[in-house]
Amino acid sequence: MPSLLVGTRKGLFVLSSDDERRNWEVSGPLLKGWEVFHAVPDPRDGSVYAATNSFVYGATVHRSEDRGETWTRAEELGVPEDTGLTLEKTWHVRPGREGEDGRVWLGGAPGVLFRSDDFGRTWETVRSLVGHESREKWNPGAGGMCCHSIQLDPDDASRMYVAISAAGTFRTEDGGETWEPANSGVAADFFPDNPFPEVGQCVHKLLVHPARPERLWQQNHCGVYRSDDHGRNWERLEGNGLPSGFGFPIMLDSSDPDTAFVIPEEGAENRVTPDSRLGVYRTRDGGRSWDLLDGGLPTPAWVAVLRESSSYDDGGVYFGTQSGSVFASADGGETWVEAATHLPPILSVEAADWQ
Amino acid sequence: MLAAEVGGQRRFEVEADTVGSALRSLPVANLVFDERGELRRLVNVYVDGVDVREQAGMETGLSGGEEIRLVAAIAGG
Repeated sequence: MPSLLVGTRKGLFVLSSDDERRNWEVSGPLLKGWEVFHAVPDPRDGSVYAATNSFVYGATVHRSEDRGETWTRAEELGVPEDTGLTLEKTWHVRPGREGEDGRVWLGGAPGVLFRSDDFGRTWETVRSLVGHESREKWNPGAGGMCCHSIQLDPDDASRMYVAISAAGTFRTEDGGETWEPANSGVAADFFPDNPFPEVGQCVHKLLVHPARPERLWQQNHCGVYRSDDHGRNWERLEGNGLPSGFGFPIMLDSSDPDTAFVIPEEGAENRVTPDSRLGVYRTRDGGRSWDLLDGGLPTPAWVAVLRESSSYDDGGVYFGTQSGSVFASADGGETWVEAATHLPPILSVEAADWQ
Repeated sequence: MLAAEVGGQRRFEVEADTVGSALRSLPVANLVFDERGELRRLVNVYVDGVDVREQAGMETGLSGGEEIRLVAAIAGG
């Protein structure tokens, strides 16, 4: 059945519905006490991974094989001492590809990527990225220097992408041996003397379209962008219906590479929905134009949606707010229902097939 | 939270010469210690009611029969 894994400041909640996605049942919290920055199902075996953080007990990863009844925790996770870095937070988990049994990727702060080949029990630092030659030009965003997006090319097992705020997007085409900045055309307006640097861009969220993997989308601190060549070049998509280029989440339509959804905020200095209106903006023409969709959304509303707090599946699009509401649409964003309310501040939303 | 990580178990009996070796034998050791092996800042450890930071820290010796308590520090408002 359609389900959502909703990570919050106070544990993990599970929302379940039927194919109509109008009525939702809330269960949880699981992982009590943990801040769940991201929780994601592993379609290879039905397990669930969660990037979990505690102000007392630090940053880790949990895994459940029984739909959250019991959890195991990473046994070995940390950044090697010779890097001079220490792990601050875990942000994003990405299960490996079909056939890569046990492989899982993990992004964290400060600008770190890990790989596990034993279902998340032990984690190895990806030194080629963590020690990247451009690292001295990376800077932390407001949430820390978080590695928050890990995208695997569905057709090419050697190609993947990560995005770090504020270091930019990096692409590997050799399975992680080497990484190339992929920020050409992406602005960093906060560097007025060099607004298009090779690295240092503040990517907020990066997605690869599953049906057209050369097409990438990103919501950035400085605009919304699309690339049609694996991130080699980017086109800025605004001045065409969006009230602001600033925002965090981005959602796609798995059957239509020209469709994307964003939820703009007023700007970097006032991170809340503009004009007291919570609105999802949709493009169906690759970003040439955007239309406001707010059917069923509350108004007036001053809310914020974090970078991990949106998701999509074959039948719906979803997002959660820092004020604890989850909204779901089963008609391409035209109308929304409030699937849950009064949850703790929402950090992540991920669609799952949760039986 | 620590108990939840080990199926609800709240007490362990271990044999150890020092507080550090006792804590490192626990299944929650990597929550109590950070990646450098240091006791996390907001975890307080008491041996028979006395804070080990007022003693020899993780080198505080054990002779047998002591009770070690782990308490998350009160932090924040």
